[in-house]
Amino acid sequence: MTDIQTLAEKARAEVAAAADEEALKAIERAYTGKDGVVAGLLAAIPTLDPSERRAAGIAANGLKQTVLEAIGSRREELAAGALAARRSGEGFDPTLPAPRPSRGSLHPLTRVTRELEDLFASMGYEVLDGPEVELGHYNFEALNIPADHPARDSQDTFFIDPEAHLVLRTHTSPVQVRAMERLEPPFRAIAPGKVFRQESTDASHDHTFYQMEGLVIGEDISVAHLIGAMKTLLRGIFGRELEVRLRPGYFPFVEPGFELDARCPFCEEGCSVCKRTTWIELLPCGLVHPAVLRAGGLDPERWSGFAFGLGLSRLVMLRYGIDDVRHLMGGDLRFLEQF
Amino acid sequence: MYISTRWLSRHVDLDGLDAHELAQQLTLSTCEIEGVEPFAPHLSAVRVGHVVSREPHPDADKLSVCRVDIGEDEPLQIVCGAPNVAAGQRVAVATVGTVLPGDFKIKKSKIRGVESRGMICSERELELGDDHSGIWVLPEDAAIGEGVREALGLEDWVLEVDNKSLTHRPDLWGHRGVAREVAAITGRKLLDLDLSGPPTGSEPPPPVRIESAACSRYLGLVIEGARSERAPLWMRMLLLAVGQRPIDLLVDLSNFVMLDLGQPNHLFDQSALSPEGIVVRRAHPGESMTTLDGEERSLEPSDLVICSGDQPVALAGIMGAEGSKVGAGTERLLLEVATFDPAVVRRTSARLGLRTDSSARFEKHLDPTLPLQAAGHFARLLRELEPGVSFPAQLADVGEWSDPATTLELRPERVRRALGGELSDDEQASLLERLGFGVRREGECLRVEVPSARATKDVTIEQDLIEEIGRLYRYGNLPEAPLVGTIRPPAPDPTRRMVRQIQDRLAGDARFHEVKSYSFQARDLHRRLGLDELEYVTVINPVAEGLERVRRDVLPSLLAVAELGRRHRDDVRLFEVGKGYRPECAGESGEPGEVHQVALLWAGPPPGQDAPYDQARFWRLRGVVEDLLRFLERDGVGFVPLDPPPPWAHPVKCLEIRLGEQPVGLVAELDPGAAPRLGLEGELESDVACAVLDLGALLAVPARTAAYRPIPRFPGVKVDVAILAPGDLPAGELAAAIEAAGKGVVADLDLFDLYRGESLGAGKKSLAWHVLLQSEKKTLTDKDAQKFLGRVERAVEKLGAELRRA
Repeated sequence: MTDIQTLAEKARAEVAAAADEEALKAIERAYTGKDGVVAGLLAAIPTLDPSERRAAGIAANGLKQTVLEAIGSRREELAAGALAARRSGEGFDPTLPAPRPSRGSLHPLTRVTRELEDLFASMGYEVLDGPEVELGHYNFEALNIPADHPARDSQDTFFIDPEAHLVLRTHTSPVQVRAMERLEPPFRAIAPGKVFRQESTDASHDHTFYQMEGLVIGEDISVAHLIGAMKTLLRGIFGRELEVRLRPGYFPFVEPGFELDARCPFCEEGCSVCKRTTWIELLPCGLVHPAVLRAGGLDPERWSGFAFGLGLSRLVMLRYGIDDVRHLMGGDLRFLEQF
Repeated sequence: MYISTRWLSRHVDLDGLDAHELAQQLTLSTCEIEGVEPFAPHLSAVRVGHVVSREPHPDADKLSVCRVDIGEDEPLQIVCGAPNVAAGQRVAVATVGTVLPGDFKIKKSKIRGVESRGMICSERELELGDDHSGIWVLPEDAAIGEGVREALGLEDWVLEVDNKSLTHRPDLWGHRGVAREVAAITGRKLLDLDLSGPPTGSEPPPPVRIESAACSRYLGLVIEGARSERAPLWMRMLLLAVGQRPIDLLVDLSNFVMLDLGQPNHLFDQSALSPEGIVVRRAHPGESMTTLDGEERSLEPSDLVICSGDQPVALAGIMGAEGSKVGAGTERLLLEVATFDPAVVRRTSARLGLRTDSSARFEKHLDPTLPLQAAGHFARLLRELEPGVSFPAQLADVGEWSDPATTLELRPERVRRALGGELSDDEQASLLERLGFGVRREGECLRVEVPSARATKDVTIEQDLIEEIGRLYRYGNLPEAPLVGTIRPPAPDPTRRMVRQIQDRLAGDARFHEVKSYSFQARDLHRRLGLDELEYVTVINPVAEGLERVRRDVLPSLLAVAELGRRHRDDVRLFEVGKGYRPECAGESGEPGEVHQVALLWAGPPPGQDAPYDQARFWRLRGVVEDLLRFLERDGVGFVPLDPPPPWAHPVKCLEIRLGEQPVGLVAELDPGAAPRLGLEGELESDVACAVLDLGALLAVPARTAAYRPIPRFPGVKVDVAILAPGDLPAGELAAAIEAAGKGVVADLDLFDLYRGESLGAGKKSLAWHVLLQSEKKTLTDKDAQKFLGRVERAVEKLGAELRRA
């Protein structure tokens, strides 16, 4: 008996010292395996006095039981230890940098254009497109800007031919008459796109930029509607109510024509964005000129409408604080990656 | 254009109206005021001095030592070099510490040993003129010690008007017109001004003949006995305030009348004119003249010229001829005040690049009743300044013109509907009357008489009157109203939808950066890419030489920035959705054909020799394209060699992308010969792949909605197939053979290894696929896989290849 007890003590000690599963398995084999200690004890039974055999058998099996139980609980202990070790998070440094997945980007003009398209689409505006190489007819004549009209000065046109039969469109307004020709009134439409001006470039001027035209045609469309629509637009852009003011502005395709200013969203006392005036000149707009309605095949006695032109490039610059308009068209990854 | 408030005060009572407030009022009702600046603020720091004594400088003949009283305890000692300085004069003194224009700071100094504490200024030093022959002698009643600006009553504010906002308002190109406007918007009184015709004499009028309808009215007034050399101080200062340099009395007066009434005018030396007199005609072909600025101008028959007999002496409404200049002492003058066709003046001045204050006004469509007023105004001002002048002849007044003053019908209900505000009929009438319009009620309508000054161009239809009412009422007082009406969901727009899908897929999963490029492509870029010989839409006035071409394709715009990208980043993935223009596909009205494209560019360091074949960007980009087309739900994607490839593309690695039979684009490697021409060499040597998709072609192929396929009910079996094949046997043929050997159970075929090496034997390659066999009818087992391999073995043997058993 003493022997068995000694053996059990020894086994328990060995189990307690086992550091991993492998050591436990070795101990299991050493005691309960084919050639193990317990097998040896059982094999020795026939050599014993018959009166002792039963007790010896019980003792040997007891030893096996003891060893297996010890291994079992040690295994749980090890597992718990391992889990605890993993949970301790040793060596974890929350300030380490995470790996950077490569990523792509949408152009900021795309982002802002989409926001506006979605805003207007939700109010029933169609989103239209027009050609960049445009007929002079749509860019000028149909918009009540005949040849030799001084308003052509402010257009700084790229001409394809000297007679201005074809030009690079100087604004998105040609889509107005194209829309009237295509859509059945009443309708509401916007047309974002690329426009061109033959002028020297600097941080705030580029010969190519983006605009968005808006056109609403209906019966009895008034300046009051225009003001309401522009306020909605500004809420969409700046996410809050901004005071606006209309002042006279001259564009041959609207009558009356306005410049719409909004309270500078960036300051209260004047800043560099608003040139210290607290107003930013945001968009030209007005009621569609009857000559333009007629050019679009609509009867000005029945139909009226308003139109506006939003400078998308400028809006993108305001939104993201971009200080040089030329970045927009420059294709520089160091710029594009930021969006 | 500049407006002086002091000048305006000659026409309207501005008492108590601050210049900034005035600017604000004009901005809200009339035109944009871009700036408000004080006139000559430095004149406040320069003080009126009294020259108490003048002694010659002991050591310099040309200098004098003056004692000048500037109202302080002691007179200042100032050394002065001007010949005209004299005791008793009132002069302009810049004391020590004063800063004059040009950042010129006056310091205490010793001049040839004599202390000088200040400077007696010339007009040029004060930026008041070119005169530097001597000091500026002030009027005798100027108060000693005061600032010159205050002492002479020169306080003035200059408003800068945005000319664009005056394009439609010929009446606002002079101070009188602006004053009329200010009176209307502020309710202040417009001061009276005599606008009757000029005094005349009994001699017959000077001969004037008009031979072109481009001149509708021509007035000629003979003036005798104008002798003064200088315009008076008040006039010179007003001219300076609005940016006009004073020259001499006649030129200054001519300018003054133009800037006062908005009517340009011109003076000729009457005695130098041909006895035939003035002839207004179109230029003869081949004719030329030298204008006042010394430039020789060759004329065209569209130009209108003023001639003396047959000799051109002025480009009508733009500029006089060289040598036609008049000056003090010209005994007999002819004043021209005329009305010219706006388009004719504009075309000539645009063609010659000769924009003058005069042409800017004529092209706006001036009122033909204005010349008579201007001639009278000129004559009266001149007589006031020079009582000795006379007007010996009758006024020549020829031409065919009619008073543009007109009557328009205005429906007050229409005004309310257009503005959306509740303006009563009476309110509308009174607003129009404030602007000088006559209003008469006639039933439901108002009959509105538009004065000639407003009727030439600006106010011609009912809507123009609505604008007048709205701006005077102030748009800010109008209410805001929501748009009402049935909202129809906008019609679906497949192009826009597809563009968004493409942008999202490429910027998202494929990790490309979206670019927006100029539509211009440099001729030089086209040369580098071998695209120089194609036909392009070109602009005739490019921003720079070599930038006249409008792109046919988007891709070259991306190739142009590949080097920039690679200089800063290893991996460059760019895409652009944009348009290109093809002149050879012109439409009915001559507009060029438009293509809408997606271009992709992927550039990076070349993969190593041992890199798997599909690490090359060509293959990776093709993978992106396939994924994109799958995402767009386009079926039947295929790739076939494109022959001939575009000049910038690799001659072999260039495939046309097809959906079924429809070509929709191409994917290609950049030709290794072209890469260095784009700067992609040396450290920037790159593996570059490009792709183009045509949106129009893509949209022409209908999308199929991704159909659900049942999840397999029976487990499949995976087997690897390795084949040793002749080097030139296309992988596609082997893949097809493997697929056929599967008899319909090959669910996936994935080439995972392609290897060529000496160990395989010359001209051999090894390919290996993971193959998934799966049946809808039963569980496939290893036994099925073995049978499949047996069939593969026999099939590839027929192709000259051999199955490699593990």
